[in-house]
Amino acid sequence: MTQRPALDVSELPTTAFGIRDPLWWGVVGIMCIEGTMFAIMAGSYFYLRGGANLWPPAGTLHPGIAITTLNILILLASIFPMHRAANSAEREDLPAIRLWLIISTVLMVAFLIIRIVILHRLTFRWDSHAYGSVVWTTVGLHTVHVVTGICENLLFITLLTKGPVEDKHMDDLRLNSMYWYFVAASWVPFYVIFFLDPGLLGATAG
Amino acid sequence: MSAEPIDAGLVADDADAEDRRLLERTWKYASGLWGWLAEVDHTKIGIRYIVTALIFFALGGIEALMMRVQLAKPENGFLNPDLYNEIFTTHGSTMMFLFAVPIMLGLGVYFVPLMVGTRNMAFPRLNAFSYYVYLIGGLFLYTAFFLNTGPDAGWFAYVPLSGPQFSPGKRVDVWAQMITFTEISSLAVAVNIITTAFKQRAPGMSLNRIPIFVWAMVVTSFMVIFAMPAVMLSSLMLALDRLVDTHFFNPAEGGDAILWQHLFWFFGHPEVYIIFIPATGIVSTILAPFTRREVFGYMALMLSLVATGFIGFGLWVHHMFATGLPQLGQSFFTAASIMIAIPSGVQIFCWLATLWGGRLRFKVPLLYVLAFIFTFVIGGLTGVMLAAVPLDLQVHDTFFVVAHFHYVLIGGAVFPLLGGLFYWYPKITGRMPSEALGKLSFWLVFLGFQVTFFPQHILGLEGMPRRVYTYLPETGWGDLNMLSTVGAFILGLGVLVFVINMVASRVSGPPAGDDPWESDTLEWSISSPPPPYNFQYLPTVSARAPLWHRRDDQPVVTGLRSDRREFLITNMMDADPDHRQVSPGPTIWPFFLSLGVGITFIVGIFTPWGLPIGAVPCAVSLVAWFWPRGDQGHHVLKEKS
Repeated sequence: MTQRPALDVSELPTTAFGIRDPLWWGVVGIMCIEGTMFAIMAGSYFYLRGGANLWPPAGTLHPGIAITTLNILILLASIFPMHRAANSAEREDLPAIRLWLIISTVLMVAFLIIRIVILHRLTFRWDSHAYGSVVWTTVGLHTVHVVTGICENLLFITLLTKGPVEDKHMDDLRLNSMYWYFVAASWVPFYVIFFLDPGLLGATAG
Repeated sequence: MSAEPIDAGLVADDADAEDRRLLERTWKYASGLWGWLAEVDHTKIGIRYIVTALIFFALGGIEALMMRVQLAKPENGFLNPDLYNEIFTTHGSTMMFLFAVPIMLGLGVYFVPLMVGTRNMAFPRLNAFSYYVYLIGGLFLYTAFFLNTGPDAGWFAYVPLSGPQFSPGKRVDVWAQMITFTEISSLAVAVNIITTAFKQRAPGMSLNRIPIFVWAMVVTSFMVIFAMPAVMLSSLMLALDRLVDTHFFNPAEGGDAILWQHLFWFFGHPEVYIIFIPATGIVSTILAPFTRREVFGYMALMLSLVATGFIGFGLWVHHMFATGLPQLGQSFFTAASIMIAIPSGVQIFCWLATLWGGRLRFKVPLLYVLAFIFTFVIGGLTGVMLAAVPLDLQVHDTFFVVAHFHYVLIGGAVFPLLGGLFYWYPKITGRMPSEALGKLSFWLVFLGFQVTFFPQHILGLEGMPRRVYTYLPETGWGDLNMLSTVGAFILGLGVLVFVINMVASRVSGPPAGDDPWESDTLEWSISSPPPPYNFQYLPTVSARAPLWHRRDDQPVVTGLRSDRREFLITNMMDADPDHRQVSPGPTIWPFFLSLGVGITFIVGIFTPWGLPIGAVPCAVSLVAWFWPRGDQGHHVLKEKS
């Protein structure tokens, strides 16, 4: 059998953004896996709640509606600079990417610090009761994601400062932003469940 | 699309040879121990998966034989109760997590890139990482087993038995972390397979021309992605309950033991299909060359796979009928469990139609397919029986269930797998396996299997419970148990002959050539074993059975650079050429990352500090992995001033 050249691909580009890029599929795959994990966590919360007489258990105080709401607003606000960083990556504008990454990282760190304050205000621990277990474990899982996001940003800021920056990093940066949208958004349902829950809102502030 | 047809003659011979030399240098396998650990080629990693999984299959088989010896006669003293518990738990965990899933994914890693006509997986380094994490999980389980710390609460580790109160010590923790290792590995492979199959197909291989085996791997991968997080999360909860006193499964503090069963089976039932669907892909693959026709009902087969993938998520509660569910729940899950027989039935009828209209060649792979159809139909029928709540309650936790799922898993997955290994052996090794030894091992395996497991249906109906280390002589179960044990040894002998055939043919089998079975899929268009770059010129595809429709002057893709690891990205629907990318080369960092993950979870058994301790080597490895070295041929950007 002989082979006949029929399709010359040498003129095709070597980078592509979004759904055209295999890495996009990889990141979407990770988001599906972790999204499923968060969904199952929420499912477990409601399963345990369904079997409880009093939920949350007696003596649970709200850590404060103001501080928890402020914190999720900070988290959601961090999406904006990440979005700008992604846009700048499309234009290959390296200083702008760095600037927006630094701004968003500051917001992420602020979110983490306030989260620690909130955890200090909780009137229960993970070993107090099943409610405590599910709340602390969910917060722990999400915190791991936030810390990972911060580390990725720091890595990119270092790379942008020291180089060499390659064309494929522009796509990595856009995917880094996309992943962060997911991490930020995935906390919204848990904010509602944990802190806007009518059972908790009736409780006195701790 | 900027590419356009060129009519100018055939590829010139000397330019052709020069190009091949260049490709060989660019894609050269890494050498030495360091190179072995750094290898990222999908065929190399695929073989490692297959061989490692077969070793675990042998270990799990030895454990099965030990159980059969213990049960051969009433009040036997071969294994004490404690060791029996460890052995049946390790047997189940090994077969599910260390053998069945990894070997199916391993076949996918080896053959998906070849079948879709590309040069490597989408994420070669992730592929290497997946393998090492799987290996560490398996070694960890067996190290613990030989240190008398093997898990002993069943492969499903039901609470409260597996909880801190009734299982002190570290045995269950070993199980929970082994789960984490193998699931991380499977999840990573799943994402890799989906991306490879969707984005790297040869030009012309539109969605309706993808080989059925690749479809099967894609559906399986989607099921992995949505099922396995459940068991990762629940094993994490179990580990936390045991280590830091959380109360997920402790009813005294508001927890719920049934939550464990829900989470476990939400994974556990799709798991059955994660094992079974690739096997059906193998069946469809084998049928075409051995019936000399394309498989009947491509679209029906493909849609059945997808339907099975969806319905497979709606049946998990049928494992829990004995827990006392609301009647509506029972009816719903009974209906769903019976409904899944429909896509399975459609597939069976498509295969029968293929056989009906084909010119059969009764070689070993086809024999395994026929044995599969026979055995799987029996297992499927007992499955429909078990879906009915009254019957399920009657035989719950008896040997009837053991018989049922071995018919489904060995008949439905291991038979096609052995057939598939025999079928692909020439491609992997370049040599033909012995047909005579193959037939001998087939008959030993097939008959040994029936003798082992058919009597267990009767034992179960007579009330013999599973997971007990012995029974009394007055029960009258001795004879059938002895028969079952004899069958197990015949089955074991058959597997041994299969292995001997594989090993001996590796050395002395006759050379296979490129396409010894006259098959229809792309992996048979290249040399055996495949060269490191797979295809010198990426093929184009114009039919579902590309090799049966190829022309004397087969159109191929040109213009990919041979001096760096280039491959072609095509679009998802029609596989039109989209852009070129550079595939990453060998690197040691995935190996180090897997060690970091190993440290995290193994230290995590003893202290919650495992996470921060393990995070350090993981972070270092990840940074080193991703830090650009400028050796992959990417374009460097400068700051605009």
